[in-house]
Amino acid sequence: MSHINWVSFGILIFLFALVTVVGFAAARWRRTEDILHLNEWGLGGRGFGTFVTWFLLGGDLYTAYTFIAVPALVFGTGAAGFFTLSYTIMVYPIVFVFLPRLWSVARVHGYITPADFIHGRYGSRGLSLAVAFTGILAVMPYIALQLVGIQSVLTVMGIGGSSTSGFLHDLPLIIAFLILAGYTFVSGLRAPALIAFIKDTLIYVMIIVAIIYIPIRVGGWGHIFSVADTHLKATNPKTGKPNGSLILEPAGYWAYATLALGSALALFMYPHNITGVFAANRRKVIRRNVAALPAYSLVLGLIALLGYMALAAPGVPAEVKAHGANAQLAVPFLFQRIFPSWFAGIGFSAIVIGALVPAAIMAIAAANLFARNIWKEYIRPNASNAEQTRVSQWASLVVKLGALLFVIFVNSTYAIQLQLLGGIWIVQTFPAIVAGLYTRWFHRWALIIGWAVAMVFGTIAAYRLAAPGKPGTHFGASTDTVPVINHTIYIGLTGLVINLVIATLLTLLFRAFKVPVGSDETRPHEFVADPEPATAEPVPAAAGAADAG
Amino acid sequence: MTHSGPPTRRTGAWILVAILLLVAVLGTLIVPIYARSGPKLGSFPFFYWYQLLWVPVVALLTTTCYLITTRVARPPADRRPSSPPMSGRGEAL
Repeated sequence: MSHINWVSFGILIFLFALVTVVGFAAARWRRTEDILHLNEWGLGGRGFGTFVTWFLLGGDLYTAYTFIAVPALVFGTGAAGFFTLSYTIMVYPIVFVFLPRLWSVARVHGYITPADFIHGRYGSRGLSLAVAFTGILAVMPYIALQLVGIQSVLTVMGIGGSSTSGFLHDLPLIIAFLILAGYTFVSGLRAPALIAFIKDTLIYVMIIVAIIYIPIRVGGWGHIFSVADTHLKATNPKTGKPNGSLILEPAGYWAYATLALGSALALFMYPHNITGVFAANRRKVIRRNVAALPAYSLVLGLIALLGYMALAAPGVPAEVKAHGANAQLAVPFLFQRIFPSWFAGIGFSAIVIGALVPAAIMAIAAANLFARNIWKEYIRPNASNAEQTRVSQWASLVVKLGALLFVIFVNSTYAIQLQLLGGIWIVQTFPAIVAGLYTRWFHRWALIIGWAVAMVFGTIAAYRLAAPGKPGTHFGASTDTVPVINHTIYIGLTGLVINLVIATLLTLLFRAFKVPVGSDETRPHEFVADPEPATAEPVPAAAGAADAG
Repeated sequence: MTHSGPPTRRTGAWILVAILLLVAVLGTLIVPIYARSGPKLGSFPFFYWYQLLWVPVVALLTTTCYLITTRVARPPADRRPSSPPMSGRGEAL
């Protein structure tokens, strides 16, 4: 703990304290009488307009994945890491199509979680449980990724870090997470929504300065790309192959495209992103945001380039190597080496707060799934709104603990594997949710069986993959060669194809045998409806459905 | 999505939206288009500046689609019949 930079540390503590105050104070923001209702705690009153939603979704979608995991991958493998930019580009045209329909039907019926929609649409408790379970499961590694991001910053700052051991090592992280858990418990979605303003401001300031200042300091873009090229061409002694390449090689095309497409299809199936969507007050807010959110994708692209800057910055690759070749440390070390300590402090804060906001929303979303689709559905069917909210508050704590366990037990070279693992699971809910927005053709049981097979397939396929150069490890990669077509493909996408084929064939079978299809409480016009914003006095239809759901 | 506005105009608008969105997705999905180093823009290899440039292009395409859906292809259920043109224009991004 000897070489802590107290200026950077002081700024981080100050901004963390500010965010904590805002987080607790957020409970009073846009407050209505009935705080003990999941519409309030879990969805911020469903009243966010275009502006707040832009910050909330931006804070939600762009996480430690963006600030730590993506540049780490670029630092280690080069062009292959840029699939993330392609993914955050193609996600918006895709969700432009179906997201407004999901928002509308959820608003009309008062759905709080994606599993609520599945329950109402298919009249199937089993399928609803499958979607809820997948959501909770997939969010765990994603929250763990946020923890990895915070940990990277703390390690570089000399707090905790590898010099100390055991409990002391994780103590700062645990304290940060306890405080996060505290204001999430009290303020619900209002806390991350308000903190998102601070987070996004810090991120934009950090990246604009970084993208101008760092190239000047390290010798220009030409130098950065040429150093990166040399490093990537060098042979990695562990694998016997080059580290990567500056321009994607043809052998990597399929992995690149399928990782991008699979991640894009998965993104808005995550419960926390659906939560951000459901919190919007009008239908038009969704499409406006889809058009305006690419601004953050540009930031992601620039942050990815930080990976190359870290390769070109004197001393940074050596520091990373000295710390167990942990590529996640590349960006924090870059900041520490290049920026004056006060600005490094701002950069560190941007990463830490940038991880806290989505972690809060993820915990809330997973907790809502538990309260609505497991507790109320299977344990206490008569649970009141207040009880559901209480259960959800406590569940949000448990989810965070689960993520802590994930980060301790799933050890990976690239934290991005945590997110890709979550993606393999969550994208398996795509057929039920997105097809369900347009048609009831798919049979509910066919969807369940397709989902189950794809989940088992994806988990086993990912488990069997060792990290590059580390034989015997598990969950070390997320692309695998598909036998017949002989290309390397994202397991999530392979699983989705298996899922769809099974669901289609079994639907034909079940329909031929006239197996009961289940009830459907939705009506076609509800998918394009745009009810007035919910106020203190909600629309009777919505309130009724929420209680019955 | 049937009951208001001239049907052919609405269908045409939706086809246009579908084409614009498809272009937006295929632009980075078809990797061989941009997996090359030249032509460079400054020091940036094509692979990088193409993808970075595609971000504002997609923003522009989705904004165009948003404007088309609010003006022409808007589903009828959500507003009073007299107000759409006015409110649509006033709410443009």
